[in-house]
Amino acid sequence: MNAQYSCLVVEDSPMMRQLLVLALSRLKSVHVTEADDGVDGLRKLAAGKFDIIMTDINMPIMDGLKLVKRVRSDPTHKDVPIIVITTEGSSEDRQRALQLGANAYITKPIQAPQVIAKVKELLKIDT
Amino acid sequence: MEKKGRADSRRSDRPEQVVAAELKEKRDAFLQTFFKRGAELTDELLGENGRLREKLARLETENATLKTQLASDNAIRDLLRKIEELEREKARLLSNVHEQEEISNRFTEIEAELESFANLYVASFQLHSTLGVRAVVRNVKELLGQLVGVQSLAIYFVDDGQRRLFPIASDGVDLDTLPSIGIGYEETRRGGGPPLDPASAVIERTYLTGVPHIAEGEMLASPQACIPLQFGDRAVGTIVVYSLLEQKKRFITVDRELFKLVGAHAGGTLVAAHYWGLADGRLPAAQSLRDACA
Repeated sequence: MNAQYSCLVVEDSPMMRQLLVLALSRLKSVHVTEADDGVDGLRKLAAGKFDIIMTDINMPIMDGLKLVKRVRSDPTHKDVPIIVITTEGSSEDRQRALQLGANAYITKPIQAPQVIAKVKELLKIDT
Repeated sequence: MEKKGRADSRRSDRPEQVVAAELKEKRDAFLQTFFKRGAELTDELLGENGRLREKLARLETENATLKTQLASDNAIRDLLRKIEELEREKARLLSNVHEQEEISNRFTEIEAELESFANLYVASFQLHSTLGVRAVVRNVKELLGQLVGVQSLAIYFVDDGQRRLFPIASDGVDLDTLPSIGIGYEETRRGGGPPLDPASAVIERTYLTGVPHIAEGEMLASPQACIPLQFGDRAVGTIVVYSLLEQKKRFITVDRELFKLVGAHAGGTLVAAHYWGLADGRLPAAQSLRDACA
């Protein structure tokens, strides 16, 4: 099946990125583009069309919260669903991200079924 | 002819009136008997009729009862047939449910296996993805933090000259507060000198035996785990896990596999990264590699 959806993964840790890409690769209908941080994420957003964004919160240069804020204020991408990745203890970041317009969050350590379920839910993928 | 003549002569001998009276008497007796018998017969017939009516009524009742019973038996037979059908349907559905449960359980198992393979693949990939000492250490920390749920850890490396294990990196615990540990101290002190603290004793034992220490069940005493760092056949240090993230209550199978993988690869990667750094990133000459292969 060709990819119908495009997902932007913004994560500074190569390991976490690889884990997320591996998890998302199980959804054949989703194509993944990777970005190293918030700025790289915005650059890639400007260059393409994305159906969903998944971003870490703690990143250098531009963190996930700033990225969420920028995306929501951009008329082109303001409606793109955003999933933020947080650590267990950072409930403040999580709340802040949701207030800024993130649609859902995933807690580290991430688990593939959890990632897949959230993406499917937000993209309304049935199978 | 002669006999007939005698009878006629006798009848003729009796007076006619007497004969008539006798005949009348006989006729009356006969009629009386006849009517009496008729009355008795009528009574008998009436009685028999009554009995037959009763019998008919009884048979009709019996017949009705039998008809009802027959209908009831048919209904029971239908019900029994229906019950059998339902039992068969139930058995079929239960079999389907069991089958579905088995498929579902197998699916969950495969999901877990896939998750484990993905984690092991990523761990292996990341451990060998860099040749900088700092990056290797960062990858080890991140790997154990993200995949296992380690909150604080330290990496000890052996100093052959001093026969001591030195902490070279840590996460979630101050490196300067960690002690160096004399190798073989526990054996040589022979009752003299203070014993090693429990964590140091575990680290020393793990280094010497090459057997990982991994807490079973609920986490209680620190360290939670201590993994020997191997480089080829020899131990070069240990990774000590002091504490885990709050949500991590116990180690699972894939954690043990990850520890095994990290223990087998991280030591060699660290040493290789160190010498790569000393070589200033210069590749070895092809000839020198060829000589080494010969």
